[in-house]
Amino acid sequence: MNKSLLVTRPNYDSATHYLYRWTEPVIAEAKRKHIPVYDLKEDKATKKTFLSYVQSKHPGFLFLNGHGDAFSVGGHDDEVILDKKIDTGALLDCIMYARSCDSGKVLGNTLVGRGVLAFIGYTRKFIVGTTRSKITKPLEDQLAKLFLEPSNLIATTILKGHSAGEADRRSKQAMLKKFGKMISSIGSFEERFAARWLWSDIRSQVVIGDHNASIHS
Amino acid sequence: MTDQTLDQLKLTEEEKNKLKELVLARLTVMPHDISISIGDKNLDKKALTEHVESEDEIGNQMMEMELEFLQDLASGAIYGHE
Repeated sequence: MNKSLLVTRPNYDSATHYLYRWTEPVIAEAKRKHIPVYDLKEDKATKKTFLSYVQSKHPGFLFLNGHGDAFSVGGHDDEVILDKKIDTGALLDCIMYARSCDSGKVLGNTLVGRGVLAFIGYTRKFIVGTTRSKITKPLEDQLAKLFLEPSNLIATTILKGHSAGEADRRSKQAMLKKFGKMISSIGSFEERFAARWLWSDIRSQVVIGDHNASIHS
Repeated sequence: MTDQTLDQLKLTEEEKNKLKELVLARLTVMPHDISISIGDKNLDKKALTEHVESEDEIGNQMMEMELEFLQDLASGAIYGHE
C-alpha cells in the first residue's frame, strides 16, 4: 500500500468549516511523520481533482470530509466526488475514512466490495455539538472538540500504521471517555445535554471490510 | 450496539407520540448557547424543535437518538463504558 494521505475538505458552510479546520491537526500529524499529503481543500475538493489524484497517486489512506448520504460523499459546494460509479480500480488497496453523514450505510459496503480494503464511516448522520459563539472559530469550540478530537483519532491512528479496527477502537474509547465526563457531575449543563449526540456518533461509527488493514499492508 | 431507525423500532402510533412529546420536552431545556451540526445544517433549539414537530428525517433521528440514549441509560449500557 502506498503510504500517503489524500484529504478532501470543502469549506463553504458552517458544518464544512468545522470539518475543514478540525482536519488541520491530522494534516500536521501526517507532515510530522513525513507522510506525503494531497490536500484537496476548498474549491479543490472537486470530483475531477479527486479522481485525478486518486488515479495518479494511489494514496493508501483517504480521509474524506464533507456532506454526504448513504450513497455518496460531497466536495466543494456539495458536488458529489465519490459514489458507486467511481472507477474503483483506482481505489484498490486503500483505507478510507469518510467523515460524512450515512457513509457507512451503503457506500462503504459498495466500495469494500470493489476493492477498498477497509472503510470507516457512519450508519446515520454524523453529529457535532457546537457552541454558537464559536461558530467562526471551530478550533476554539470546546464542545465541538469533544466530538471531533476522537474522530481525528481514527485518522491519526491509521497514519501511525495501526489497523482500521484499532483506529475505530481507539476513537470509540476516546469518545466513551469524553462521554463519561460529559454525563458526570463535572460535566457542564451544555455537555450533559450534548452527551446524547455523542452517544449517537459512538453507536453509528462502523468499520467495513478488513479490520486488520493498515497502511503497512 | 447497532442503531435503529424509528421504523425498525416498530413503535405504535401512541408510543411514537409519547416519544415525540418527551423529545420536545427535553428540547425546552436545551441551552441557548449550543447548537447541533447535523447533515448540512447547524440547528439551534428552535430549529431543532421544528424538525421534531414535523417528524422529518432530522426530527426522526432526534427521536431515535433519545430513545436509544434512554434505553442504554436504563440497561446500564452507558455506565458499562465509563
